[in-house]
Amino acid sequence: MSDKTFRRLLAAVTAAGTLITAALVIYTAVLYKNASIIEFIAGGR
Amino acid sequence: MKLAKQIMILAALVGLFAAADIYIYFICTKRLMTDDGTERRTSSIEVSDYLPFDENSNIVNIKDTLPLTGELPVIDGAEGLYPVYSAFVNAVYPEGSVEFDGSDFTPESKLQMRNTLKAYKGVVDGNADIAVCAAPSAEQLSYAEEMGAELEFVPIGRDAFVFMVNSANPVDSLTANEIREIYSGKYKNWSKLGGEKLPINPLQRLAGSGSQSVFLKFMNGLETVPNYSGWRGSPIGFSFRYYVTGMRENDGVKILSLNGVYPDKESISKGEYPICVDFYAVYDRRNTNPNIPTLIDWFLSENGQRIIEETGYVPIK
Repeated sequence: MSDKTFRRLLAAVTAAGTLITAALVIYTAVLYKNASIIEFIAGGR
Repeated sequence: MKLAKQIMILAALVGLFAAADIYIYFICTKRLMTDDGTERRTSSIEVSDYLPFDENSNIVNIKDTLPLTGELPVIDGAEGLYPVYSAFVNAVYPEGSVEFDGSDFTPESKLQMRNTLKAYKGVVDGNADIAVCAAPSAEQLSYAEEMGAELEFVPIGRDAFVFMVNSANPVDSLTANEIREIYSGKYKNWSKLGGEKLPINPLQRLAGSGSQSVFLKFMNGLETVPNYSGWRGSPIGFSFRYYVTGMRENDGVKILSLNGVYPDKESISKGEYPICVDFYAVYDRRNTNPNIPTLIDWFLSENGQRIIEETGYVPIK
């Protein structure tokens, strides 16, 4: 593949990966903020 | 050759993101979800489960009459004590005094449940007449002083301040000193305390909440490790006994004995459990509503104390 296509693919994968990871982190933060301490301990080990 | 290298770089990048996401999911996200994949319940209890004047309510249903005249005091308080003061309102207030819009009390309602932080502020600012809460934090006392409020604390009931761990944790009992050393960072692994070889994850609560204020007094000025200092370990947390056993009962947690004493009604009423705390009816002495002393006297009456006991707390008298 050409360098131009490769760079585009690299940028697309990086952007998609960053977005998915950021969404997961934000979702986890919201869950964490809303979880009661009892539920949090019960969900651990 | 060049193509193979490019594909390897792309695959490595995808793998890196996937590994990060899987790690975050299994270490953090999954822990905050129930087994069926839904979000765990929020920190707030269901207000509608403990409404006064509702035949399906979970509150203790005792009726009494009181000579209340004029403006009825607004009663607010801690989340964990809401079943108690909702039952008080149910016992002596007229039915139309409470307005619930399906998710929260309206501003006109004489019963509110805005939690400890807002209840204390409400009494100081005049938005509430009586707060039913545990002892205040230093910040809450300081705010009251700054605003010129003269807070009066009348003990009306008692409960144990308890420490809890996951029910799979083999540790059943700790000493008060061991707990202080966990929270101050000396003990970092459960294996040092008879448990599994897992890091200890000591949890704290929101600053200004009733349980956090009691915890800080318990720590007696010792510096604590940062809150939520680890996700990979096994947690220890704290709350009030009734909140754990009565309101948010969960098979996944167990309460620890402290200095060999398990916190039950008997050990609390006999004063054997090491950390028994009173909870109070708090009001501002500048507030001249004549119904306030009448109500507080009733909280301490036979029926008022019965409500406290039958709710699951320990009466003060």
